[in-house]
Amino acid sequence: MSWISLEKIKRLGEKFSYANVIENDKGFHSIEVPKENLIDFLTFLKTDPDYSFKMFIDWTIIDHGQKADPRFQGVLILYSPEYKERIIVKTWATNETLPSLTGLWTGAKWAEREAWDMFGIRFEGHENLVRMFLWETYPYHPLRKDFPLRGIEDTELPSLNEKERMDQLEGTMNYSRMHTALPTLEDLEKTQKARMPQKKAQVVLNWGPLHPGTHGTIWFLFDMEGEYVKECDIIIGQLHRGVEKLAENMNVQQIIPYTDRMDYIAAINENHSVCIAAEKLLGIHEKIPEKAKYIRTMMAELSRINSHLLWLGTYALDLGALTMFLYTFREREKLMDILEGITGARFTINYFRVGGVYADLPYGALDAIEHFLKDLPKRINDYETLLTRNRIWLKRNVDVCIITEEDVYDYGLTGAVARASGVPYDLRKIDKYDAYGEVEFDIPVGEKGDSYDRYLVRMEEMRQSIKIVKQCVEKLRTMSKNDPYFYEPEDKKMKITIDGRGTKLFKGEVYAAADNPRGELGVYIYQPKDGIKPFRFRLRSGAFYNLQVFTKAIIGRPIADAITLLSTIDPVVGETDR
Amino acid sequence: MGIKKVGLNKNVAPQSIVEKIFFLDFAKGLKTTIKHLFKRVITVDFPFEVIVPAIRFRGVHGLRNVDGTEPEDFASWVKKLKIKPPEKGETRCIACKFCQAACPVPEIFVIKAEKLDVPEDHPHHGLKVLTQFDMDLGKCMFCGLCTLACPTACIIHTDVYDLSSYTRRGAILNKEQLAKIADDFIARRGKEKFDEHSHWPDTQKVWPEYDLARAKAWDNNPPVFGPNYQDQE
Repeated sequence: MSWISLEKIKRLGEKFSYANVIENDKGFHSIEVPKENLIDFLTFLKTDPDYSFKMFIDWTIIDHGQKADPRFQGVLILYSPEYKERIIVKTWATNETLPSLTGLWTGAKWAEREAWDMFGIRFEGHENLVRMFLWETYPYHPLRKDFPLRGIEDTELPSLNEKERMDQLEGTMNYSRMHTALPTLEDLEKTQKARMPQKKAQVVLNWGPLHPGTHGTIWFLFDMEGEYVKECDIIIGQLHRGVEKLAENMNVQQIIPYTDRMDYIAAINENHSVCIAAEKLLGIHEKIPEKAKYIRTMMAELSRINSHLLWLGTYALDLGALTMFLYTFREREKLMDILEGITGARFTINYFRVGGVYADLPYGALDAIEHFLKDLPKRINDYETLLTRNRIWLKRNVDVCIITEEDVYDYGLTGAVARASGVPYDLRKIDKYDAYGEVEFDIPVGEKGDSYDRYLVRMEEMRQSIKIVKQCVEKLRTMSKNDPYFYEPEDKKMKITIDGRGTKLFKGEVYAAADNPRGELGVYIYQPKDGIKPFRFRLRSGAFYNLQVFTKAIIGRPIADAITLLSTIDPVVGETDR
Repeated sequence: MGIKKVGLNKNVAPQSIVEKIFFLDFAKGLKTTIKHLFKRVITVDFPFEVIVPAIRFRGVHGLRNVDGTEPEDFASWVKKLKIKPPEKGETRCIACKFCQAACPVPEIFVIKAEKLDVPEDHPHHGLKVLTQFDMDLGKCMFCGLCTLACPTACIIHTDVYDLSSYTRRGAILNKEQLAKIADDFIARRGKEKFDEHSHWPDTQKVWPEYDLARAKAWDNNPPVFGPNYQDQE
């Protein structure tokens, strides 16, 4: 497991008298530091060659409830690329303020804005602490424990057909005319102004929120000097559904269908993250039946191919190669058929469970997968002949929007974006969750970190995924149909069910992640006592942090490169907004 | 550690001068396009041709009636919850509300069972019968947790996917509508989905092989299904 060892963290505790080491029986040790000393301590962690926690992973808040004092606690997760270790640093936010970490890691900028938006914690020293998801005039901080789950319903919003058809809908199946607040045009104008308080150049170009090139509802603001971008900010949150808040009110198996709706392109991988985190918290991650492990690895890789095919199609479409879209969707359709047959849904899969999968493979599933894989490498070669060495493609991609290795550590970039910049950060190799430790594959790593490298890395990832799926199919063939696919706990205290009723989480905390097509989707669960509902369920979205680097990489580039950059970063708005 | 370097000079050679002058990159691309030009059409002509959903497909819900294929512990469940023993053709639902407990959005369900109004010496005295089972599909995520929770295999997913309504009220299905949907589905495809007593029989296929429209989407070369595991027939 990629976590700091106990002796190493204890040495930290000895070195700094103010630091307080918190041991964890599952191995997820953390360290508590008072907020006055936080910056010094983190500077040491970042620069000391024995630790070198250079890479920013996540920075979030836990609300301990109204009665606790101090009430809010900051949780910082860091990664050390040299030692392949993670650490959690905690600090209490007395007076609802915390020092800003943007001086150490630029990636903390959005994390802090999110924490301000959701918890109302002010960060001292943040350059422009505005809301992240909600509009500027929204008065509440929704992830606080005293904010009701249903929201505060203070806006009257009659249904359209109630007005036009004179239907009396009130009373039918809890339909209510009162809704939670909605932003007016005036609110949006204020939001836009707050995001970019000082104009640097002449024209502010709005791109989105609804535009086919943005692949979802993102709203870009470009401050432009002629054709070149001087400053950029992104307004997201149009798809914010409060998955973290919802997750605090249900059991862990019920959270899985919600994660389907986050990264809807690769729903299986999202489910995978939640399963891994919950299994590690329960301490059963090594006891999962082998068949379930292999099925999950296989499905996750199929889903990665699916996601990359969609990415390739839309990316080429954005850059003007319409044919590509039709070709990739043909292959994707076959893949969707396979997913539909195995899991029961084409898009919102909900197949994985904490403890395995919900059903065994149907008759003929492996044959269908093999049949599909026989054809796919030829198709990928076809795509490469069309694109890779085409002169227009080269002109639009080579040396466009370079993301350096430094950016990767500063912004906490993960997934293909990090790998294209020369950082071989792949959780499949580092954490070896499920069956990834037992299959052979390479990590494609780029050199320069331009758009072209990101394209090549993803193309190679597809080929590696094919390799993994083939090994999984081979292994599954040797198994028996009576092998279990779901973990039945021997421990009386533990209860895990396929339908989720009564599934309990143990006391403790855990951060675990899976390598998804859009980066690392980490799940941080904090549970002060045994219970069904997680107390704090944090989703560290890879797409969210990857999108943040957009605002830096586009500076000084012409506006046409925005499309290339956005396509190669490949965010899905469902995941950035959660 | 298995790192593969990719990049313009690593696994991709840059364009040579000959390629540049004679537009060979375009010619190669065109060759691929022309190759595809002579392939057969793969699109399905909906609604004249319809793909039959896979048997596991999670479509609109249905409520199954008693038809002799109940799980073995059905009678004991009926007894435990003090439900009037259903006869053939009556609903299997025993109002245990397990589906509601498993559902991530429990407001979907309104389930009510009422005591029968019969004299004291009647055999059904004190027993309950299901009076209301409403589902608001406008709120449903089709995650399938309710069907896994059901102890009597009553609530199921059918393969019906085309549901629409002009008003919100149309998204609410009552128990008669749900029973009708299930009956239709069982008559059409019950044999594919269930065998005598099992919810997940071995013989469930990835998708029905008789489906010609789907074969078309697979380049008219669909896979032939065989057993997955070595001891499967």
